[in-house]
Amino acid sequence: MKNNQVYLYDGSFLGILNLINKLLTVQIKPFNICNKNIYQPSLIDEIIDLEQDDDFKIKDLNVSKEILKTIYYVYLSNNEHKELIIYYFLLNAQKYKNKIFYMRNLKCVNHALKIAKYVSNENHKLKGFVRFKEIKNHVLYASISPTNDVLELLSLHFMSRLKNEYWIIKDIGRNKYSIYDTKKYYIVSGENMNLKEVEIDEEEKTIENLWLTFFRTIGIEGRKNKKCQMNFMPKKYWKYIIEMEDAYEKGNNG
Amino acid sequence: MTLEEKLRILADGAKYDASCSSSGSTRTNSGGIGNAAYSGICHSFASDGRCISLLKILMTNCCIFDCKYCINRKSNHIKRAIFTPDEICTTTMNFYRRNYIEGLFLSSGIIKSADYTMELLIKTIKLLRYKYHFHGYIHCKAIPGASDYLLKELGGLVDRLSANIELPTEKGLKLLAPNKNSNKVTKIMSYVKENRSESYAPAGQSTQMIIGATKETDLDIMNKSEKLYKSYDLKRVFYSAYIPVNKDKLLPTLESPPLARENRLYQADWLLRFYGFKVNDLLDERNPNFNILIDPKANWALRHLDEFPKEINSASYYDLLKVPGIGIKSAKRIIACRKNFKITFEDLKKMGIVIKRAKYFITCNHKYFINSTYFQKGFIEANLILEDNIKENKKKEQLSLFP
Repeated sequence: MKNNQVYLYDGSFLGILNLINKLLTVQIKPFNICNKNIYQPSLIDEIIDLEQDDDFKIKDLNVSKEILKTIYYVYLSNNEHKELIIYYFLLNAQKYKNKIFYMRNLKCVNHALKIAKYVSNENHKLKGFVRFKEIKNHVLYASISPTNDVLELLSLHFMSRLKNEYWIIKDIGRNKYSIYDTKKYYIVSGENMNLKEVEIDEEEKTIENLWLTFFRTIGIEGRKNKKCQMNFMPKKYWKYIIEMEDAYEKGNNG
Repeated sequence: MTLEEKLRILADGAKYDASCSSSGSTRTNSGGIGNAAYSGICHSFASDGRCISLLKILMTNCCIFDCKYCINRKSNHIKRAIFTPDEICTTTMNFYRRNYIEGLFLSSGIIKSADYTMELLIKTIKLLRYKYHFHGYIHCKAIPGASDYLLKELGGLVDRLSANIELPTEKGLKLLAPNKNSNKVTKIMSYVKENRSESYAPAGQSTQMIIGATKETDLDIMNKSEKLYKSYDLKRVFYSAYIPVNKDKLLPTLESPPLARENRLYQADWLLRFYGFKVNDLLDERNPNFNILIDPKANWALRHLDEFPKEINSASYYDLLKVPGIGIKSAKRIIACRKNFKITFEDLKKMGIVIKRAKYFITCNHKYFINSTYFQKGFIEANLILEDNIKENKKKEQLSLFP
């Protein structure tokens, strides 16, 4: 391998699998793999556009569900080397199959599994921390700002839980929405949306206040433990958790 | 009285119940709102660091009983309130739709009679399930002394049905809760155990003991737990450090709740349920209480140092579990990985296994983490205590409740 060859893909999950499948077939070890939408060209990089397989299907990779799930979670992570990590994970997966999950002594395997776990943990946390507000026409609206791109995973969760509701979840940082119409959810970029500032009515305020009352009452004064509270509910999520908004804005520890 | 005021009073009356778990049920959303998540989901964390998963409330804090330790006892002059079934349902629905909660935890003081109170609870939960089409998690407290046919109906509506044993011995119960007797509680437990199924309390039952309100030792408490787990298939026994809410000459006066003791009991409880330990391994008549400085597993290991160090690459699953700092996940991971390669200390770190405590009790390929002459009780004990940094906690809390 020459250490300046950069392979570009279109940013999609299928796109990266297609590219890596190609690289594995022709046995090329890439110096780097980048999403072409965010790639910053540099003078020393030699950009290579591999001809991609138009009718590539995920099953062409010939890997198990567990392996596929792991690389999907890594793909959703905010790790800047995630493409290479996926490449090396798949390279080893060809050799070890499902045994790969126990090859923790290999750095790339260990790395991939840790990242996948991190994404899955954040998804699980947000299943609890998402806070909806009811806006016009009984639509539920929530804002999140997750470290990893878990919008799709969360949508799957709320699709079965709030099956008969209309809801919208906005990922503030990535400027995209998940919009659910009681049948399917659609992930839409913020650029294509024209949603005005969300308005909250009096009744919604009343319900929020009821929740705040409950939240303040349920803590036991004699067992006060702010540190423990913060360990479980990290500050980075406070901005969108209504019972912590106050503490977030004041910049104190709740 | 406004709904907000009621909520304040009836959440305040319910907050001393430790259970808030929402796990163990696979209820699906069959044409309404909500489902259960098998692993449980925490939605928030209160100022005391405890998880908030369920809307934990009493239906009413009126009570015909006068249990000494309880904030809601008859003789207390406090504001009383009662929720209507519709108020409970709309509040649950409003909170659930906004994803504040995972479901409802409903308990109640006893009004008129056990059966009357049960009927009201059932009416409320039926309304929630059938009129509001709520399929989220519900944990309901059964009222001791209620008739079988009511237990039958309630269990068919909820995910978890439970009753609190409150105190580890009958003697303690007679002293502080003269209106209660443990037979009524264990009768509920037997009933739930025998009837439990996919459609009857699928998430099982739990119970709670108050720690430090009576003179029982840790040995009494753990013996009681062991018996409860064995006899009634309980999912959990919760331990709740006694918090003085009432003044009574029968109750101890504490400066602060015995939280460190509560923590040790939880640790020991895990050892009983998942690690193959028996109460007798951990405590005996001569040492009836846990060491506050060292956790029960490390304490056991230090007293059985001749069984250590364990070799990571060959020790059995249960031997690995005996190592302080190695839990179930770590033990399973070690066993799966060592089939593929010989594990070194470096690998353990890579495998995500915390060896801060474990390193004193193991070898990797027959190597100790430092010179093996350091494998001595004094050295290990001092280091474990140092690492626990427990001194601070000790200052805060005096455990000699009954001098």
